[in-house]
Amino acid sequence: METMLATISEQLGPMLVILGAALAVGFAGSGSAWGIGIANEAAAGVMTEDPKKFGYALVLLALPGTQGIYGLLVAVLSLQKAGLLGAGDVSLTVWQGLGICFACLPIAISGFYSAIWQGKSSAASILMISKRPEQIGKAVILPAMCETYAVFGLLVSILMLNGIKL
Amino acid sequence: MSSQGAYGYAVARIRAMELRLLDSGVLQRMIDAEDFASILKILGETSYSSAITSQTNGADFDKVLEADLHSIYEEIRTFVPDKEIVDIMRLQYDFHNVKVLLKSMFNVRTGGKKRWDLLTSLGSYPLDDLIMNVESEEYRLLPFGLNTLIPKCITVWEQSRDVLEVERLIDKRMFEVMLEKAHGLDMPGIISWIRTRTDGENIRSLLRLKRFNYDASKALPFLHEGGTIDVSMLASLITEPFETWGRAIEFSDFGKIIGSIDASGGYSDLILSLERVLDDCYLEKIAAGRYSPSAPENIPAYLWDKEMEIKNIRVITVSKRNKGDKDHLRRLIRHGYV
Repeated sequence: METMLATISEQLGPMLVILGAALAVGFAGSGSAWGIGIANEAAAGVMTEDPKKFGYALVLLALPGTQGIYGLLVAVLSLQKAGLLGAGDVSLTVWQGLGICFACLPIAISGFYSAIWQGKSSAASILMISKRPEQIGKAVILPAMCETYAVFGLLVSILMLNGIKL
Repeated sequence: MSSQGAYGYAVARIRAMELRLLDSGVLQRMIDAEDFASILKILGETSYSSAITSQTNGADFDKVLEADLHSIYEEIRTFVPDKEIVDIMRLQYDFHNVKVLLKSMFNVRTGGKKRWDLLTSLGSYPLDDLIMNVESEEYRLLPFGLNTLIPKCITVWEQSRDVLEVERLIDKRMFEVMLEKAHGLDMPGIISWIRTRTDGENIRSLLRLKRFNYDASKALPFLHEGGTIDVSMLASLITEPFETWGRAIEFSDFGKIIGSIDASGGYSDLILSLERVLDDCYLEKIAAGRYSPSAPENIPAYLWDKEMEIKNIRVITVSKRNKGDKDHLRRLIRHGYV
C-alpha cells in the first residue's frame, strides 16, 4: 500500500502536466473547429452563388483557427517545462504539476469561447463581403477583436508557466 | 423545428442572392422609360436577362415574372432547414387557386366559362393535384383543411349565391393556416410578422368595406382573428373618418403609417396608398432580423422583397401600357430593403 501511494505521489505531478496540456489543446482546438464550422456554413452559402469570393472567405474562416494553435503552443511549452518531451527522468512534485496544469487553463477557456464567437463574427463578416467585397479590411478587423482575448489567455498561460519554479 | 443555428448557410446564400434583386436605380430607369420595349431592354441588363427576349410580349412577360418567382421559391426551398417558412409565403397562391377553381365551378353552373387561365403555379400544393382533387370531388386528399372548407363553400354558394361570403370563408381559413404554420415553426419573429399581416389585411378590408357603407356589425365577420389589434375595436372604426384611424390604433405597428397617409383623395387613391404603405410595413417588420447572420426571418424577408420587386415591375409595365403619369407611378412603387 505504501509503495503504491509513493508511486502515485511520484507520478501525480507529471500526470497533472499532461492533463493541463490535454485541456489546452482539447478545448482551444474544439473551439477553433466549432468557430471554423460556423464560418464555413456562411462561406459555403456565399460561394454557392459567387465562387469568386473564395479568397475573401478563406481569410475570414481561417481566423478562428488561431486559438487551436495557441492551445498547441501552450501544451508544448508545458510538456517541455516539465521535461516530458525529452528522454530523461522527470521529477515533479504534485504542487508543481498542479501549477502547470492551472497555467494551461487560461488558454483552454479563453481559446474555447473566443474561437466560437470569432466564428460567429467571421460568419457575419462573410455576409458583409458577399455584398461589399471592397470592405474586406473592415470585415477582417471585426472578428479579429475576439482574437484579443485569446491572445490575453495565451499571454497569461505563458507568464504563469514561466513563473513556476522547478 | 430546426435549430436556428442551422440557418448560417441559408442566410449567407440569401445574402448573396440579394445581389440579383433590382435596385432603386433600375426601377427609376424603368419608370422613366418611354415604352414597354424600353423596359424590356432595361430588364435585359439584370438577372431577368436569361428569360427575356426581344420577342417577349405582354402575355409572355407575365409568365416570365411568374416563372422567375416560382424558380426562386423552389430554389430557396431546397436549402432552407424549415421548408414551412417558404410554404407560409406560398399559401396566398394556394388559396388564390382554390378561389379560382370554385368561382370557375360556379361560373360553369350558371352557364359561364372556366377561368383556369387565372390559376398560378406559385402555390405550395401542386396545381395539377389541386385541380384533379377538386374536379373529381376528392376533397379528403386536400391539405390546409380544404377537405371541409370547399364543401362548405359550395353549400354556401348553392344556398345564397353569395361569392363574397365564399371568399370571406377562404380568406379566413388562409390566415388561420398561416398562423398555425407559424406557431408550428415556433419562431417568434415569423409569428409576429404573420400577426402584423393579419392586422394589415384587416385594415385594408375595413377600408374597402367602408367604401361600400358597411357598418361595424356587417364588417366584423370580414376581419380575421389572430392579429395584434382586437377585431371588434377595429370594426368599430368603420364609422369613423379614415384620418382618425391612425390615432385609434396608435399602439400598433400601423398607428404612425396610417396617420401619414394623405386621405384627401378619393377612395381609389386611398386604397392604393394604404396597400403600398402596408406592403412597406410588412417588409420593414420582417427585415428587422437582417443584421443577424443566423435569423430565420431573413428567408421571408427576402421572399417578400422579391414579391415586391415583381409587383413593382407589374405596376410599372401596366402603367406604361396605359400611358400612366410618372409621378403617380412613383407613388405606387414599394420599397426594397436591399
